[in-house]
Amino acid sequence: MIAQEAQYRDWMLAALMGDAGAYRMLLGGLTRHLRSYYARRLDAAAAEDAVQETLIAIHTRRATYDPALPFTAWVYGIARYKLIDEYRRHKRRATVPLDEAADLFGHDDATDAIAKRDVTKLLDKLPPAKRQLVKDIKLDGVSVADAAARTGLSESAVKVTVHRAIKSLGDDLGERDADR
Amino acid sequence: MQTDDLIAHLSNDLPPVRNGAVMRVLLSAITLGVIGSTAVMVLVLHPRHDLAEAMTSFGMWTKLLYTFALTAFGFWQVERAGRPGADMVRPALLLALPVLAIVLLSLIQMNAADADPRLLLMGHTARTCALLVTMTALPTLAATFWALKRLAPTRLALAGTGAGLFAGAAGAFVYSFHCPEGAAPFIAVWYSLGVALTAAIGGFLGPRFLRW
Repeated sequence: MIAQEAQYRDWMLAALMGDAGAYRMLLGGLTRHLRSYYARRLDAAAAEDAVQETLIAIHTRRATYDPALPFTAWVYGIARYKLIDEYRRHKRRATVPLDEAADLFGHDDATDAIAKRDVTKLLDKLPPAKRQLVKDIKLDGVSVADAAARTGLSESAVKVTVHRAIKSLGDDLGERDADR
Repeated sequence: MQTDDLIAHLSNDLPPVRNGAVMRVLLSAITLGVIGSTAVMVLVLHPRHDLAEAMTSFGMWTKLLYTFALTAFGFWQVERAGRPGADMVRPALLLALPVLAIVLLSLIQMNAADADPRLLLMGHTARTCALLVTMTALPTLAATFWALKRLAPTRLALAGTGAGLFAGAAGAFVYSFHCPEGAAPFIAVWYSLGVALTAAIGGFLGPRFLRW
């Protein structure tokens, strides 16, 4: 059972009876999950469009929610449908992601921000030159060849530097966990 | 528009949803569809001329009960297909019950002492039966698609197949009043084939016409 199920379902049932306050809380809560869900699967502009599309779909199709079934599964069904719709519209890929409702409700944009902050904090431990290389290659997707050209290092030197930097960060995390 | 503004806008005017809203959409569309299918049967195919007499025959009731059971379970499938996150497997499994029943009855009739297996299986209209069932089903199929599009189907091929199955079964029920056959083996093969054909058409058209 998904943690938010009881709260969201209560809001939904109230909203179906016309309670605008509960509805606003519900849509606000769902938006945080939807943002994170689409941000992990679409580019930024498409993701916010998909969030709004899904909110509108939830609104116009709200009568199709059967109170005998889990509310989170209903929202997830719509979110996934709108994701596939988005893929289809841009003809980007025909395959359907193999995820499930827990994937939608396990994240929200607040936890995503924390994760991003954690990575940034961790990278700050590296000396600036190494930090830039790791950020370029591992986070921003710059190719090894481009990074080598930019820094004047050989490609193999770039690879070794990045590999060692990641390893040292990993060791660092491992020590911290062992201390606990 | 900012997402926060959208939320404010959506929750601004929030009329309560009436109970049974989904059922009302489905039933009103399907009523129209079945009227259309009946019109096809009455005007194009014509009811069998000995209908009054046939209404007391075992064969007629075999057809009506079999197709009605398929229609009822098919309807349940359509209702589930219109709701995101609902389970469509259980209603699909239930469809096996009437099929099992007609197969059993067919075996009994085929194994009777004076049985003519060829006649029981092929009757006199085997060549056209499945296609005419599908033709009779088309108005109901269109109406069911129209209704489903107003709900929220999320797996369109599956939803289309469910709609086709329901419409095929309803079409077969209506077609029963035209069709002169009554042997269980005939019904088990040719009626079922007509239903399956309509389901296949629905499954093919679903991803094209059920998007919302």
